[in-house]
Amino acid sequence: MSEELFRDFWWLMFPIFGMVMAVFGMLQENRRIDAIHNRARRELGTDQ
Amino acid sequence: MSFAQFFAAYWWLMFPVFGMLMAFVGMFQTERRSNQTMDLIKSYVDQGKDPPPELLKLVAQQSDWDMDMSGVGGGSKSNRAWTFVVFLALAAGFGTGYYFMRAESWSFAFLIVAVTMGVMAVGALLLLIFGRKS
Repeated sequence: MSEELFRDFWWLMFPIFGMVMAVFGMLQENRRIDAIHNRARRELGTDQ
Repeated sequence: MSFAQFFAAYWWLMFPVFGMLMAFVGMFQTERRSNQTMDLIKSYVDQGKDPPPELLKLVAQQSDWDMDMSGVGGGSKSNRAWTFVVFLALAAGFGTGYYFMRAESWSFAFLIVAVTMGVMAVGALLLLIFGRKS
């Protein structure tokens, strides 16, 4: 059954890869913005 | 109903559910980050210091995103043209998928996405033609 399922839905790996990349990109962007905020806080001399 | 049967019947639901989750998380995070950025800028101004250019750039980026999402025709003309091309390509891709799979019972999912993307493409084209020139 799992072989048949894979044969029917193998093409789903492409949109799923796209979704994984979208989540990964969002996490990377969050990390980038966090780094900017943390640097700005350090320069400001506060630890909000 | 086995997992295979369940998956075969409802696999297409993963796309709208993923889209809704991403939209919700994105909206929530944008709001939170925007508030944090504005608080930091306010703290800099209160201390009589110039905010770092990266922070100001973040605010500008968030404003652009708000403008794009509000559908008032913001963003540069090339951005709007690219949005039109992306939606057109998605509509064409899913339309082709529907054409080849139209004999299947689940082919309606392709048609729904193709029509949605087509409407989005028409909207992007209208914004490109009649939107604010910037």
